[in-house]
Formats: sequence, C-alpha cells, structure tokens
Amino acid sequence: MTQDKKDRREFLTKLGIGAGVVGIGTQAAASLRSLLPNVSYDSPTTVKLGLPGDFPDGMKFLPELRLFVFREGKVFHAVSAVCTHLGCTVRAEALPQPETMDVGGAPLRVTHRFACPCHGSKYTGDGRVVSGPAPKPLAWYHLEVSPDDGQLVADLAQEVERDFRLSVA
Amino acid sequence: MATALKPPAAEAPSAPGVHPKPLWSFKPRSDREAGDAIVSNFMLHWFPAKVFKPSLDWNYSFWLGTISAALLLLLVVSGLPLMFLYVPSVERAYGSVKDIEWVVTFGSWIRSVHRLSAHLMVAAVFLHLVRVFLTGAYKNGAGRGQRREWNWVMGVAMLLLTLFLSFTGYLLPWDQLAFWAVTVGTNIAASIPYVGPQVRELLIGGRAIDQPTLLRFYILHIVVLPGVLGALFGYHMWRVRKDGGLARVDRVARLREKVAEDVSSTKTYTLLGVARGTAPQVRAATLEARDLTVNAVPDLVRRAAIAVLGTFAVISVLSSFIRSPLEEAANPLVTPNPAKAPWYFLWLQEIVTDTTFTVGGFTVNGAFLGGVILPGLLIAVLTAWPWLDRSPAEATGVWFHASRRKQNLVFLLLVLVVVLLTVVGTFMRGPSWQFFWPWQAWPELPTRI
Repeated sequence: MTQDKKDRREFLTKLGIGAGVVGIGTQAAASLRSLLPNVSYDSPTTVKLGLPGDFPDGMKFLPELRLFVFREGKVFHAVSAVCTHLGCTVRAEALPQPETMDVGGAPLRVTHRFACPCHGSKYTGDGRVVSGPAPKPLAWYHLEVSPDDGQLVADLAQEVERDFRLSVA
Repeated sequence: MATALKPPAAEAPSAPGVHPKPLWSFKPRSDREAGDAIVSNFMLHWFPAKVFKPSLDWNYSFWLGTISAALLLLLVVSGLPLMFLYVPSVERAYGSVKDIEWVVTFGSWIRSVHRLSAHLMVAAVFLHLVRVFLTGAYKNGAGRGQRREWNWVMGVAMLLLTLFLSFTGYLLPWDQLAFWAVTVGTNIAASIPYVGPQVRELLIGGRAIDQPTLLRFYILHIVVLPGVLGALFGYHMWRVRKDGGLARVDRVARLREKVAEDVSSTKTYTLLGVARGTAPQVRAATLEARDLTVNAVPDLVRRAAIAVLGTFAVISVLSSFIRSPLEEAANPLVTPNPAKAPWYFLWLQEIVTDTTFTVGGFTVNGAFLGGVILPGLLIAVLTAWPWLDRSPAEATGVWFHASRRKQNLVFLLLVLVVVLLTVVGTFMRGPSWQFFWPWQAWPELPTRI
C-alpha cells in the first residue's frame, strides 16, 4: 500500500469514528434536552387573595400558596412559609404576648414565630433567622389592591424589603 | 428401514459437538456426561472449575456480596408484580399502593419483600464495602493483569446506585414521606451555585413537584437505575473472575511463590482465548495445590446456595411479620413534624442541618455544604482510595493487616461518625428536629394556625 493510500485510509477511519461520536453525542444531547420543559403548567405567581376586609386582624395562613398574610388595622404584609434551607413549610407558633419590634425602620406588631419541621430552623415573626440551618430570612412578597375588584393581590415572584407595608384605604 | 427407526443411543451424538442430552447431570456416569455437564452447566460458566478453599470461609467475606446480589434478585422479582399493580400518577399512586397493601391478595407480603430487601440491600452493600476495605481486597496481589481497583470503583458506584434506587423507590407511594423527601432532595440539588435551579428543574420536570416529577422518578426506578446497576453487576462479577477470584487467594499465592518459582506454569481463564497474554493469572501452584483448592461444583455452589436461599428465607419470613408503613397521602400544604428521611439518609439529614455557617456576612447554606460538598468529597476520597493506599501487596486479602492499621482506623472512624449521626437522627430528633434524649418525652405540638 502506498503512503498516499495509507494516509487516506487513516483519515477516513478517523472521519468515520468522529462522525459516529458527533452523531451519538448530538442525539444524546437532543434526548436530554427534550426532558427540559418548555412550557410551565405551574400555577400563576400573581394570585388574588380575597377582599382586605375578609382578613382577620393578626395572621392568616394560606396553605395552597404557602403564605402568611398579616393584618394590623389597615396595614398588610405577606411572609412566605417556605423555609429558605430546603423548602419545607414552616409552622407558625402563636407568641404568648404580641410584641412590637422595629422591622425595616418601622414598628411592627408581631404575633407569631416560625419553626421548620424538617431541619429545625427557627424564625422570628418578621422572618429573621434565630437558629438552625436556614441561610436566609423568610421572603416577604409584594402585595397590592386589585384595581378591578379591590381584592388583595400577592406577587409570589416579587420579593420585597422588610419595610414593605400595604396600607388599604 | 428398521435400523433407522431405532433410537440412537444416548452416548452417540448425531454430529460432533452436539450434546445428546439437554439436561446435565449432577452425577455423571461417564467422562462424556461429565464433559457435557461442564459445557451446559451455567454455574460452571459463572464460576471457575476450581476455587481456592479459604475464599469460601464464612468469616472471611461473610458472603455479603452474594447476599447483596440475592437481595437484588429478590427486588427484581418482587418488583415485577408491583409494576402490574402500581399506577404512576399523582392522583392514583397513593390509592394503588393502598390497594396493594390492603386489597390485593398477598399484596402486603410482596410489598414487604420489596421494601425489606431494599433496606437490607443498603445495609448489605455498605457492609460489603466495609469488608472489602478492611481486608484490603481492592489491592492487587500476586496475579498479573489484575485491576481490582476498578472493581472497587464499580462497587462504590453500585452503592450510590443502591441508595438512589432506594430514594426513587420510597417516593413512589406519593405519601407524605415521599412528597417531602422529593422536596428536600431536589432542593439539595437546587442549592448548587449557578446550575442548581436548572438541575432541579430537570429532575422534577418543572418548577413545582407534580406529575412529571413522579413519572421521572418512576422511570428512573424501574428502568434506568436497575439497568445501569445490572450492567455494573455483570462487570463486577466478570472482574472478580479476571482478577483471579477473591483477594484472599493472592496472599497464599505470594507465600507459595517463594517455594516454587515456575513462571511458565500459569493458569489462565479466558473467554475463547481472546484475553490470552493479559489474562488474569494466578499461580498454578496455588490453584492446583490439592490441599487448598476444591471443585466449584459442589463446594462453591453449595455455599452460594446457602447464602442465596438463606437470604430468600429470611426476607420471606420477615415479610410475613413486618408490614410496610404508608403515611398519609401527599399533602403539599402540610409538612409533617418531624419530617424524617429513612434511616440510611438520616446522617445526611443531620449533616445538612448542622453545616450552615456564616463568615463575615456571607452565609453558606448547609444544603450545599452538607448535602453536596461533603458527601461529594467522601465519595471522591472513597473512589480514589486504592490509588492512595500505599501498603505492600502482602496486605491484600487480609483482615486488619498491620501495614494498613492507620487507614483502617480512619475508615472505621468515618463509619462510626456516619453510624452515630444515623443513631442521633433516628432516636434523638423530635418535633422541629429538636434534640431529645431517647428517654425524654416529646412536647405537645404548639398550637398551629
């Protein structure tokens, strides 16, 4: 066999193997990509919660949304019930006496504290970590009043600072 | 014509290489029958013809690998009827498992066989790994072409597969245990910086735990993971043969080497001679020493049968008495308190609890450190250990060899830590994962709104 033919044969062998690798690799990648969803059928993140007047003074837990809504007269705020450690739902424990603490520069009457059943993280009533493995405070979510029917609307995709208060006229 | 009707004698095959009898005999009456038995006996393809007698000792290997394999077989066999009865849908999974438990005839027993085999398999595979470590059985001793370190790596991979199979298995009833285990497990994946959320989305097939999640874990449990485990298991067994049997044989081979230094007389086990040259080789002096070797049939087969059938019997009887628990149906609205993983993951649950720390305002989530980094390091070190172990070849296949004292101690210490964390997680964690001594009563749960 001449050197030319040998080179050509080696080249074609490598080309064949390379084409095989690329082909199998692409098909594997395509199969894997098909498992990443393109459409989300999750529930929407902006949710109507009901008329402000229907909320009791103090706290209301909305289990489907994993959300605590607090009311103090005409002032509302909402705190997530999703533990920041590994996503279990925290439990609210009523304080023996409501306390007033400075939250985000404004006084806030706090009636509860939170504890996570999975790994024991503990939070104050405004969501700060007291103890346990939670790396971040509980999220606060944006609240507003719907202009069409006056219901409270929570935006579970929009975290807010802890000085957030919604005053309902 | 009359001669043609006469049936051929059993000893006279119609053509060379055709075996006259489809079944082989345990008690061959001629050399021909013995030869047929060897050719058609599956056990003699699985096992070598002769085995090293001390390798069969109950108290060398404790037969933990065989027991693991027997449990795997039980899991496949008991999983089959369960596959006919179980419905992988979030609406109907719980109901179908409830039916298996309370309506299907013998359903509860089959489910218990499956569950107890799974629990015991985690234990057996782990103890097998401990045994192999403490005997230095991942080391290459006397034989040529040995690659025992790769069998160790396969073993570590199979332990992980066993754990992942258990994890995907206990999700399927879609009860409270399942739902919150998926929540926590996939959030551990999500805690990886940058790619975590995408990994979680790939695992659960969306952003919330729902039907795609159950289906994914179901397919992993019944097709993907058993397939990979089966392939690795086959390779694992083949490697044991290639490496000349259990590591124990190497020690004696080394001792004898000094007596008879006949390099040319090696015994090879090759498949159609393909592996000639680099084939696994143990000194013929060892294998053919009459005082140390026995025939695989019946000595090895008999002991393997005792281990396998004994495992079957134990599981079968235990399953008649121990029923499998089923928690309340999955409820995304309420996390149970305390929410505990099965025992073999409690050390991990304990670690992710204890490893969140803050340095200068920067907080490292225990989910990442304890759930990804630390277990990852542990697996990496375990995998690489055969290359880190610098002990001499004499330490191959010997319990607690003096040259490996330090590493055995470190290893046992690590095992002890894992066991202790498991004990703490099992017996000393109450509501809200608070610490309680076993004799302390758990408090009444605080009022919940």
